[in-house]
Amino acid sequence: MAGQTDPSLSIFSGEEVEFMAEDEMVEIVPNMRMDPLNMLCGDFGPFYPQMATQVPLWLAIAMKKRGKCTIRPPEWMSIENLTRILEAERDSQAAFQVLPFHYVEISSLLFEYAPDDIPDIYMVRSLINDIRDVRFHKVETSLESFEEAHSSAVMVKDLSAMEVNLVRPFVGRALQAFYKHGSPELVPNPDGMSARRLQATDNIPRIDWNKFYIAYRLLSHAL
Amino acid sequence: MANYYDIDDIIMEQQLVPVVFQKAVNGVEIDPSAETDYVEAGSKVELPLWLAYELHLKQVVKMKVPACFNHRTKLELGADGAAVDLRSRCLYFYEFGCKIAPLIGDRDMGSFLLSAFRTRYQQILAKAHNAAFTAPSKLLSFLTKEETNLYEAAQSSMAAFKKWRIGGPRFERASVLGRKRKSTD
Amino acid sequence: MDSGLDSGLDSGSTEDYETDVELLKRAWRQEKSAPEILQFESALVRRIVEQIQLMEETVEEFTDSGIDPLTVSLYQMDLDRTQFLLRSYFRIRLQKIEKYMFHIRDNAESHLSEKEKVFVERCCADLQTHLEKSVLLQLPSTYQSVFRQSSEKETDMVPRPHLDTFVVCKTNASQRPLDEPFEMEPNVLYFVRYKAVKKFVEEGKIDLY
Repeated sequence: MAGQTDPSLSIFSGEEVEFMAEDEMVEIVPNMRMDPLNMLCGDFGPFYPQMATQVPLWLAIAMKKRGKCTIRPPEWMSIENLTRILEAERDSQAAFQVLPFHYVEISSLLFEYAPDDIPDIYMVRSLINDIRDVRFHKVETSLESFEEAHSSAVMVKDLSAMEVNLVRPFVGRALQAFYKHGSPELVPNPDGMSARRLQATDNIPRIDWNKFYIAYRLLSHAL
Repeated sequence: MANYYDIDDIIMEQQLVPVVFQKAVNGVEIDPSAETDYVEAGSKVELPLWLAYELHLKQVVKMKVPACFNHRTKLELGADGAAVDLRSRCLYFYEFGCKIAPLIGDRDMGSFLLSAFRTRYQQILAKAHNAAFTAPSKLLSFLTKEETNLYEAAQSSMAAFKKWRIGGPRFERASVLGRKRKSTD
Repeated sequence: MDSGLDSGLDSGSTEDYETDVELLKRAWRQEKSAPEILQFESALVRRIVEQIQLMEETVEEFTDSGIDPLTVSLYQMDLDRTQFLLRSYFRIRLQKIEKYMFHIRDNAESHLSEKEKVFVERCCADLQTHLEKSVLLQLPSTYQSVFRQSSEKETDMVPRPHLDTFVVCKTNASQRPLDEPFEMEPNVLYFVRYKAVKKFVEEGKIDLY
């Protein structure tokens, strides 16, 4: 399937983070009757016209695409709430407001698949974009000074899934460098070199390798 | 733990270290222009780290501080860390520093590397996210290997995020995945 | 979604309200995040495979008995999602095995499923034969090892997972990582060295993200 990541780069691709977000529950209002769905991931329904019910986001989108329901945007996506959050995000340099862990993915999916179910969608979209930008900027600023904390760990309180995923490759590497340079291994220790070594075996047969190797071989003979 | 097959680690150990021979050694041609195959005690030469290390263990040579960790570099890094071109001095500045510190008995190396990295890392971070799609700046040409990796890590995850946001067909099924495992075709 | 995850991953306790799919998703996330190979979730995988087979049969019956195509396609999506998780879980483990085959064979074989054990043996044998035939047997006898640079040394040529990798994780109850001077607050994400939380990850007390 698309979107698999190279494990050495970042752990989760954007698509994989989205995949996880698609299991979040949302409220839908069906316009048809359907028996309960007893699925691997849980039991949902029964579905009756005009009767709101909770389903995972992927299921909501699948039904919506086929014109079988409307999706009720979650409460946190109201203009009042988003306006309040945006102000608070701007007011505080350090703290992050509490938003759903998958707010970036959920809102992005709803904008794409259920635009007609979101009142004032332009306003909502621009508020969420602004919130996201303010938060990303704050993440960067906090990263610039994070080594002031204990460099062996960093708390990322109230960051969302996508935000964590975005900074993960950089923060992981940087912390590793901080950790390595602060490690006690740097105090003098003649056996500290654990890497690749040529062995000092006697009677090494002649091999034309390179200049350094020959020099080494002759030296170990000479001693 | 160092990885035996790590190409960066291998290249890093090719970094030259100035050494002074503590003993005279026969049958060695260190300097191709020299006429004899004899090295006197007190001779100064530069050897790759992996070789210098072995000889150091056998107390044949004594290692000197490599130029990239000399007093002047330390002063420059202390004054304006982000502006120093470390790449031209040593592509593997930090890794080399970590390896060499115990061998030359430099107890301050760790904290020196840490503070150099700290100042420079802030610059890298700012550049990496702001200059997401613009031409690489002068800063990039100053970066060591590890710093470049860091920069690229930040940039590529930002680019991946933007790509995700712009979207495209999501979760297209490869045709092979639709088939049932049991079907016997 | 991720709040209140229980530690009883493999217990299958009846009070556990989580579905096996949720447990699989968690196992998948842990496996993707951890630098080393984790214990194979044999009981969970067995249950999931059974459920997938049952569901495949059900979907086939639905199709044959003329249930409306919408319902069938929704069940099919549910199936696809679960199979994606399972395949990705297997795949990430195979990638780790290929990367650290000698290390895993000698140190972590008990973490593998029966099929993975066969796979790791094959991998090791093939790679070793290949290296010997193409290079090593041409070298002097002291240089022929795939594992060590010299006979008195440890197996210093074997690639191993880097346990100092920083991972993102969360704990349900206050937890002090090993060798770290701080206490992790519950339900807050941290970047921490994997080595410092490895024990708790294995015990299911700390979750990787």
